[in-house]
Amino acid sequence: MIGAAFGATLARAQDGDEAAFACIFRDVQPALLRYLGVIAPEAEDVAGDTWVQVVAGLAGFRGEERAFRAWLFTIARHRAADAGRSRTRRPAVPLEMSEEAQQPVSADTADLALEALSARAVVGLIASLPHDQAEIILLRVVAGLEANDVARMVGKTPGAVRVAAHRGLRRLAGLAERAGVTH
Amino acid sequence: MHGEMPGFFPGRPGGEHDEPLLDMLLERRPIPPGAPPEVHDLARMLAAAAGPAESGELAGETAAMAAFARRASPAGISPAVSRSARRRLSGWSARGRVPLAAAVTALTAGLGSTAAAYAGVLPTPIQQFAHETIAAPAPSGAHPSTTSAASPQPSAGRQSGAAERPWDHSAVPVLAPGQGQYGRPQGLDHGRKVGRTVPSCYPGHGLPQMSPTPSPAKTPSPQGSGPYKWTPPSPSPQATDCVVLPAHAQPRTARAVR
Repeated sequence: MIGAAFGATLARAQDGDEAAFACIFRDVQPALLRYLGVIAPEAEDVAGDTWVQVVAGLAGFRGEERAFRAWLFTIARHRAADAGRSRTRRPAVPLEMSEEAQQPVSADTADLALEALSARAVVGLIASLPHDQAEIILLRVVAGLEANDVARMVGKTPGAVRVAAHRGLRRLAGLAERAGVTH
Repeated sequence: MHGEMPGFFPGRPGGEHDEPLLDMLLERRPIPPGAPPEVHDLARMLAAAAGPAESGELAGETAAMAAFARRASPAGISPAVSRSARRRLSGWSARGRVPLAAAVTALTAGLGSTAAAYAGVLPTPIQQFAHETIAAPAPSGAHPSTTSAASPQPSAGRQSGAAERPWDHSAVPVLAPGQGQYGRPQGLDHGRKVGRTVPSCYPGHGLPQMSPTPSPAKTPSPQGSGPYKWTPPSPSPQATDCVVLPAHAQPRTARAVR
């Protein structure tokens, strides 16, 4: 998250400042790719389409950083739905996570695994959750959206979003223990 | 093993007590030091998931910057405006070009055909059709005698009293065989066949009026002494004597003149 400087950065980007736009891109793109990697088979293509649409509407956007992220991820979700409406959106757990899961786990190796835990590995683990739980956790934690924004995006009540997120986290803790990345 | 356990921690029931910790995890708030180590592990996992860019995750920056450079517009110009303008332009190009080309082609063909018809260079059947529809010259191979049987009638209905019923199409007179279009004498048609045409009222056109060829079988001719007797153009045309046709009944050339 850019934080307090987001307003000025956005204003410069809206004026055509490429450096300001690059700052926004670098801040959002990793989270966008990780989110799309769970909900869309063609994450990079969908991300590209998303940015094209964001660029097209950037000058007309008004709001703070949270609203900007909610807007961008809503676009991404729509583009992902367009791209992979009829496909299975359950990517496999990354190879390195699977190998780790097959090795004997001790406290030390678990700590090492946790220290070296990559974003890709964790997102792969989240992707193995039920789809709605995985999407909600990614939107809440990775994209940094509020529960109300997520509820609006996924068409649930904020309470249902909270329940699904809690269930997902509990399930994720169990998966992590089995994968040997926790104590 | 702990996937849907009621308690967050392994082997511990009562998940409702874990919900504040779960909310902290979701909002990425600092976990209290006294929280179970599993919660800290999960917090570190989520922090890694939301961490900085890893290798390859910014590979799309070049394309995004190119899109930004293309689409970035100066302040004050909304991309929505330019987008709608492009949509209008593309819509014009898509929707307008083909009909425009068709219209130009049709107009060109129509003008060319009309010019050819008036030049009398069309094939005989087509020339005859043009002659009958737009009063073009008759085909050159025809003789006036071929249409002499076409019930010549007095050109001016003024003598027959039909002008008093101007909208009665049955009262519209028919030109005599020797009378060309616009009331011209046959001599101006260079011997081409002259068919049935429906005259209308052209006040002040100044063209010479030709007296009808006598046709005693159908219409009495008050003047009918010779086939090509000229009547000088009236200096003040008596419009009230003309048969005023409704627009749809007038020849196309007449509407164009008017």
